Amino acid sequence: MVWELVLWFIAFVAVISLIGFSAYQLICLSDLEYDYINPYDSSSRINAVVTPEFIVQGILCILFLLTWHWFPFLIMAPVTYYHIKLYMKRKHLIDVTEIFRALNEEKKYRFIKLGFYCCIFIIVIYRLVTTAVMLLINEDEWNLESGMF
Amino acid sequence: MEQPTFPGRPTSSFPTAPKASAPLRSSGPIVGLDGSIPSRAPTPFASSGPVAEFGSSFTPQTTSPFFSSVPAVGPQPANFGELPPPIRPSGPSSPPSYQVQNVGSYQQMQPARYHPIAQSSVPLGSPPFIGQPRGSPYTGSFQPQSQTPTVSMGLTPQSSSQMIPRNTVPQLSEPSFTATKIPSQPPLHAYSNVPPRSSIPSFQPDPQFHASGPVSQPPMQGFTPAHVPARHASPYAHQSIVPPPPPIGGPLGYTSRDQLQHPLTGPPLGGVQSLVEEFQSLSVGSVPGSLNPGVDTNLLPRPLSGDEISTKIPEMYHLNCHPRFLRLTTHAIPNSQSLFSRWHLPLGAVVQPLAETPDGDEVPVINFGPVGIVRCRRCRTYINPYVMFTDAGRKWRCNLCSFLNDVPAEYYCGLDASGRRSDIDQRPELCKGSVEFVASTEYMVRPPMPPLYFFLIDVSVSAVRSGLLEIVAKTIKSCLDDLPGFPRTQIGFITFDNTLHFHNLKSSLTQPQMLVVSDLDDIFLPLPDDLLVNLSESRHVVEAFLDSLPVMFQSSVNVESALGPALKASFMVMSQLGGKLLIFQSTLPSLGVGRLRLRGDDLRVYGTDKEHILRLPEDSFYKQMAAEFTKNQIAVDIYAFSEKYTDIASLGSLAKYTGGQVYHYPSFQVAIHHEKLSYELGRNLRRETAWEAVMRIRCGKGVRFTNYHGHFMLRSTDLLALPAVDCDKAFAMQLSLEENLMTTQTVYFQVALLYTSSTGERRIRVHTAAAPVVTDLNEMYNQADTGAIISLLGRIAIENSLSQKLDDARQSIHLKLMKSLKEYRNLFAVQHRLSGRLIYPESLRLLPLYVLALCKSVALRGGYADAPLDDRCAAGYTMMILPVSRMLKLLYPSLFRIDENLLKDGKESQEPLIQLPLTALNLDPKGIYILDDGFNFVIWLGRMLPADLVSNILGADLAGVPDLSKAVVFEHDNPISKKLLMILNRLREKNFSSYPSCRLVRQGEQPRELSLFLANLVEDPTAGSSSYVDWIFQVHRQSQS
Repeated sequence: MVWELVLWFIAFVAVISLIGFSAYQLICLSDLEYDYINPYDSSSRINAVVTPEFIVQGILCILFLLTWHWFPFLIMAPVTYYHIKLYMKRKHLIDVTEIFRALNEEKKYRFIKLGFYCCIFIIVIYRLVTTAVMLLINEDEWNLESGMF
Repeated sequence: MEQPTFPGRPTSSFPTAPKASAPLRSSGPIVGLDGSIPSRAPTPFASSGPVAEFGSSFTPQTTSPFFSSVPAVGPQPANFGELPPPIRPSGPSSPPSYQVQNVGSYQQMQPARYHPIAQSSVPLGSPPFIGQPRGSPYTGSFQPQSQTPTVSMGLTPQSSSQMIPRNTVPQLSEPSFTATKIPSQPPLHAYSNVPPRSSIPSFQPDPQFHASGPVSQPPMQGFTPAHVPARHASPYAHQSIVPPPPPIGGPLGYTSRDQLQHPLTGPPLGGVQSLVEEFQSLSVGSVPGSLNPGVDTNLLPRPLSGDEISTKIPEMYHLNCHPRFLRLTTHAIPNSQSLFSRWHLPLGAVVQPLAETPDGDEVPVINFGPVGIVRCRRCRTYINPYVMFTDAGRKWRCNLCSFLNDVPAEYYCGLDASGRRSDIDQRPELCKGSVEFVASTEYMVRPPMPPLYFFLIDVSVSAVRSGLLEIVAKTIKSCLDDLPGFPRTQIGFITFDNTLHFHNLKSSLTQPQMLVVSDLDDIFLPLPDDLLVNLSESRHVVEAFLDSLPVMFQSSVNVESALGPALKASFMVMSQLGGKLLIFQSTLPSLGVGRLRLRGDDLRVYGTDKEHILRLPEDSFYKQMAAEFTKNQIAVDIYAFSEKYTDIASLGSLAKYTGGQVYHYPSFQVAIHHEKLSYELGRNLRRETAWEAVMRIRCGKGVRFTNYHGHFMLRSTDLLALPAVDCDKAFAMQLSLEENLMTTQTVYFQVALLYTSSTGERRIRVHTAAAPVVTDLNEMYNQADTGAIISLLGRIAIENSLSQKLDDARQSIHLKLMKSLKEYRNLFAVQHRLSGRLIYPESLRLLPLYVLALCKSVALRGGYADAPLDDRCAAGYTMMILPVSRMLKLLYPSLFRIDENLLKDGKESQEPLIQLPLTALNLDPKGIYILDDGFNFVIWLGRMLPADLVSNILGADLAGVPDLSKAVVFEHDNPISKKLLMILNRLREKNFSSYPSCRLVRQGEQPRELSLFLANLVEDPTAGSSSYVDWIFQVHRQSQS
């Protein structure tokens, strides 16, 4: 039961970081749109966090698989697959020369991803809390039971 | 508001109108000063109809008919208050006398106007408004522009008698016409209530079809055979007739389509002719689609008489910059999203900021000195002829954002009675659309860079063998004197094969030193400096180097080419200063980073979703390099020579993002390409170049430039970074509306190019243009510019071909053409029975042909077999930067028959050549033809040519020339050859940007005849594409359905 709590806690941290990565990329893109930074900086900043994001997401997905948490795994799997495909095609990084032409699509893509991560976040936090509560209750019960006997 | 701009149009027939307009323009602000009327000021204009209104200010009585027809005016006043004070285009230029008059008449008019409006719709057809006696003379003067008056006038015998001869074709019908009209008050009501003043379509047919059914038939019949020639001959060219769009102020509140069209321009008053000329049409057989042409092929519109596309400044916007700098696809901006969505063609502009100007028309250079350049504080617009000075000259109102700026004390000048600055004539920036400002240090991020040319030359065996190296070295050497920017010019060289050779050109040396670096993985510079030297100091070393260059690698047998590492090395050399990098590449890069592989010979890829990948850079290295180059102000020009595949798609991306250019010489042969290469390289080195430039195009409220097409890199959403730009480059951009409904009457555009001139001066070239906002689709069509549309369409299609199949890219431009013609047809077809005719606006009469030609251009034609991949990509890169006129020439080359001129002697041979339609039907086997697309000449020799003529041209017997592909046209010692050369040179003089090399092809000589010559005859059916006639059928059929 405790390892369950640990798992969800790890997932919680991971999802927070995923949300952070996505939000950071979005901020870079909108800064670019409003001309606060130049395309070179913007794309290099974004590209710096793309790979970490993919890795964290992949690890989280595998973690769910290994711990037999089917539901979150199935939700995460398509995104993982999509990331792998992008990576294989070498399309995962932003192209500085075409960044303005692709700006709106990139923003939309990242918004969707951010939304997805938020959904995951809700699930994770729910499971984290339930697990924690269950653990506490069980402990109490156990204590109770042990007290009875 | 808008009206002021329109009265200008009928200048010829209505002399008072332009004057009247002037006061109106200037009046806005002036009235505003009074404070009492400002908000109402626009109303009269807004509410009232177009041209007629001005007339009405002179003859008040006549106004009523016009007002009566505007039922929607009632609810509007609420809007008027919100209207911003009108920004008048040429306000300051209006003569003083009018202003006074104007204000007076203005105030008087206002009440007068409103009353009729209030009563308006009810008593429409009622007697009072038959102010005929006054009205009719007035109509007379208006005739060509507006028909509104006629409607009302139609009631009276007088005016009807005027109309009759014009309106109905057969004289017979007149009586019936008038007869029906006069008694029928109710129908008239209907007219004037709904469409009378508005749409041409609705009104025009009315008299005809309505009045007498049978009448309509004869004219129709008469049209089909007769109207087409009539159109050509007629002085009533469409654009000239139809008056520019009416004011838009009023229609603000309108929503329905009918109402939107309301203030529309009337069609030309007058008879059959005008009815026909309202639009252009082409009768296409009774059975659409039948192969037996119902079309007279001679009547198809063709651009045979030179540059038919108007390049004149619209009269009412005479302060605009010349169209050679900025061309809008339509000189009328739609006022609403709904109108915009009905304009299916691209809306945008083609900008050529440094276009060459004829002598005497140079762009004036202005130095503001310590004052600094006068710009709007809010939107940073540069001062221009359209700004308004107010407050006795102490303030000026920005025409783009309406912000009220202070005039700097040093720049202050009083206003004269008409509100113009009294020093306007001494200030080019206030009376010219194109000016150049000398920029102060605040426009520099670093000291202006010197002109810098860096040459990266492939010296592998193919370059040496083909003789390329020698030509390049000689040409560069001959240009050394003419390189711009003496004495600051810098120069440097790197040569490479499987190693990199740096050349130390230090001025203290007598001979250049070559330093070889063979470690391609870890590039370093063997010398910290002296790889890039000042030309004037090291001139002798540079010359010695260029002399020895061809010899140096003579014995080379190296087939490898390490372009990637060489690019990195040149980047390291140039990154401090920026400049221009010229790459001479004759093989596929095969070593080090950025090595490319053979691709594109896979037939199976074509037609699949992966097809477009062939046209994209294979290795992202080139794109990254290009981004780095742009960041460091380095422009890259690619000269590619190879018989085999060199992957222009990848190499070209270097030029694409750095503002460069791709020169492609497929299967380079010294004999044929020698002159072309040395001319084009020479021009590249000699022409005035703008360094480390950025360009921005600003536009007024409500519109925004969204997509840019050309060779540049976007540095922010609307800032184009151009490391180097010159007179041969054009950029295109698309416009989108930001607001659902535009409240302004005029949209202003300002192109600003900030650059360093070769002399080391920082300058800003500013082009300003204004365009009216219109409520009417027809007006957009009338003001359309086919050249700009095609230029933009072509660029869009080429960009699409990078992400789609070729077929899809072609389809999308087909679709745009169809939709637009269909929309245009819908404007008229309801009223006219046009089933057998394709109708199109005069301004777009060449559009179908050019779209067809675009689909048949090298970049977009056919599939795998129709053009080698490299040629296709190179053509695509070339078309992305071509200015409008050269683009049109490339799409529809000129074809001349020259054998008669060759045989004539003396002056007769100087006769101008007659341009022929591009179809094989025109080819006579006894003739010699020359095809000129601006890049190449192809001389076609008929099969039945007299042998002596051919041998005179070739300098040898035809039988003795086994392979015409190696034959060269040069001057032989006989009169015919001399005349031929003279003709060629005359053709070359028309265009300095490129040097057409001359190819010979014999009739029936396959496959060369097909690829060189026949494929360029765009009116003929070629593999998988239709002929011009079929195309017209297809367009007709699809625009009907």
